[in-house]
Amino acid sequence: MSEESDSGAVAAGVPTPRSSIYFDGLTNRRHAVALRFGAKLDITEDGVDIASWPYDDLRMVDGGPGTLRIKSVSALPLARLEVFDPAAQTQITGHARFLRIERGGPAHTGRIVAWSLAAIASIFLVVVYGMPLAADRLTPLIPLSFDRHLGAIADNQVRVIFGGRTCTNAQGRAAFSKLVETVRQASRLDVPLQTEVLNSPVPNAFALPGGKIYLLNGLLQKAQNADELAGVVAHEMGHVSHRDHTRMMIQRGGVSFLIGLLWGDITGSAAVIFVTRTLFEVSYSREAEQNADAFAIAAMHALGRSPAPMGELLFRITGAEKSHTIGILASHPLTEDRRELMRHEDRPATGLEILSDDEWQALKTICRPANAR
Amino acid sequence: MNDVAQIRTLVRQSQSIAFTAERRDFFRLVRRGALLELITAGFYRFWLATDIRRSLWSGTLVDGHAPEYTGTAKELLIGFLFALAILVPVYLLYFLIGIEAERVKAFASIPLVLFFYAFAQFAIFRARRYRATRTVWRGARFWMSGSGWAYSWRACLWDLVVLLTLGLALPWRESALERYKMRHLNYGDLPARFEGTGWALFKRGWWLWLLSLPIVTLPFTYPAYKAVLWRWWVCGIRFGEVRFESDLRTGGLMGLYWAVIGWTTLLLIADVIVIAVVILVAMFFGGKLGGANAMLLFLRQHPYLALGANIANYLALVLCIGVIRRVYLTHGVWERVVTSVSAHDLDLADNVKVRGALASALGEGFADSLDVAGF
Repeated sequence: MSEESDSGAVAAGVPTPRSSIYFDGLTNRRHAVALRFGAKLDITEDGVDIASWPYDDLRMVDGGPGTLRIKSVSALPLARLEVFDPAAQTQITGHARFLRIERGGPAHTGRIVAWSLAAIASIFLVVVYGMPLAADRLTPLIPLSFDRHLGAIADNQVRVIFGGRTCTNAQGRAAFSKLVETVRQASRLDVPLQTEVLNSPVPNAFALPGGKIYLLNGLLQKAQNADELAGVVAHEMGHVSHRDHTRMMIQRGGVSFLIGLLWGDITGSAAVIFVTRTLFEVSYSREAEQNADAFAIAAMHALGRSPAPMGELLFRITGAEKSHTIGILASHPLTEDRRELMRHEDRPATGLEILSDDEWQALKTICRPANAR
Repeated sequence: MNDVAQIRTLVRQSQSIAFTAERRDFFRLVRRGALLELITAGFYRFWLATDIRRSLWSGTLVDGHAPEYTGTAKELLIGFLFALAILVPVYLLYFLIGIEAERVKAFASIPLVLFFYAFAQFAIFRARRYRATRTVWRGARFWMSGSGWAYSWRACLWDLVVLLTLGLALPWRESALERYKMRHLNYGDLPARFEGTGWALFKRGWWLWLLSLPIVTLPFTYPAYKAVLWRWWVCGIRFGEVRFESDLRTGGLMGLYWAVIGWTTLLLIADVIVIAVVILVAMFFGGKLGGANAMLLFLRQHPYLALGANIANYLALVLCIGVIRRVYLTHGVWERVVTSVSAHDLDLADNVKVRGALASALGEGFADSLDVAGF
């Protein structure tokens, strides 16, 4: 813009060659107007002044190719002036100091980025430090009946998945009850427990929230003595005692909500949320597993039995894990490390055998029909 | 007035619509937007959506005047936060009801998803309302009345009918819902309506329905259906006595959809090659330093490295596909549709009085949170 445009008088009274179009903000009627650049921007139609806009009030809005479309912050909200003539456009951009004040620039984008990074940082901190703390504080506030609700749901699903094949051999059940009750008393867990053995070849055991513990026959068959099994049962009781399910649910809900806040409608965002959430969840659950192991070790010590056999049983089931597991993705601590820990806690037996040989044999055959024995 | 109207009917005017936003500029816009989305973990989406709309609106010339998109990213952000404030208690309630339902019967909570479907329909209506009220053409604003929930239950009932008829009722669904939306749309004091019928759409599209039955034909039938749908939609719009026509051919959008398929395939191939090269280079240097085992050991000691690379690769892919999608399916489809339109008797929309208030961006916020798009 040249210096001459500073003196509005130079251009005053000289109408621009091509007419501009003015919309008065009341109707959509096109007013073919001439512009006069005086002390203000004067808009005239057929020689009559119809509007006069102060230069400082002019703002540029989107106007299409080759068109300078402006509004005035002091005029009606939809009043618009469309200027097609390049010379008149230059006049306006020269006079109006705040023409582009509402348009974003690099500084604007920088501000968006900076605030977003701050939001990401705070969300990350909340996920890493805030959520575990919140879950620890909230879990005791939630009544135990909630755990039992959750347990009932999970129980329905477990029954669907495993076909509800409960092992019912009476002597086996008696032996199992004795083992569970012994461990429960030793660990001073005062939640009423329900335990069942399911006829599934999967070598696993799991606790449901609220105090239901399932042992699968696959694991039972891999166990060589009652101490091995007692350790695993004690580990599951640890989960019940720590209310890990409820805690995990609070964490899971909070984390997916917070991560969902970030990635919105970018395609496939669900997958991003899933991956990120899994990472955090796994690190949470690893901690829960370590706590349950500690619970099991304490229970075995209280019984005067060694926790080491439990580590052997786990190792027998999983084999060495170091070679093929990405540590961060393992929800349980690696079996080698767990076995090492339990061997470290090995002490000579001072307590009684948990089950007699007969009882152990009965437990091993709990899934056989009564008449087959 | 009657004389004027008579003269006008004698001199029927038709105006074509021009589109001037270059694909190259649009590509730059969305590429920059994708990068910023990556840096800001998605927060930039509000600004990108606004920039995209501004570019499309102002690139379209109707009777020599480009519409102006007056919405701002800040409105979208606030709409999103408001939507969160409403959705979070709803989610919690949903969660608790789900627990109760599951207790009665395993997996019984699934029908509750339907509730969110209804919510999404509400969002679609309100999102369109937001966009309409942020559109100014020739100094007058579009605006919408009507209720999002009234629209929502209509949409859900129609979807049920469509489901029961294996999709055959789709044309009637489209026309009924579009009639509802259009009947509540106004340009200044000029009310809009929709005159497209389900039967007309059915006659144009029934063979596409037949061809879609073997699912593998969808990459061909879907673009064709979209073209048929757009053309039928444009021809059904009325503002007072102003009407529109479209000469979009049934195959008119085929190239755009196949460009998306082609570029996405190329992108995936390129990605596989890049990953292979990275692994080979790592093996080569790893081999120098002590073999593949040493590399595996290194990865075990630094598990975040492999995982981080995976996440970065995934995000890059998603954002690239987003750019492709926007260039062809947003810009491309807009260009094809808009330039196929001719407006008749546009002069009957002269002297329209400015009316209507701005609607909130709440619907856009819901649409964003529920991941639905509605035009």
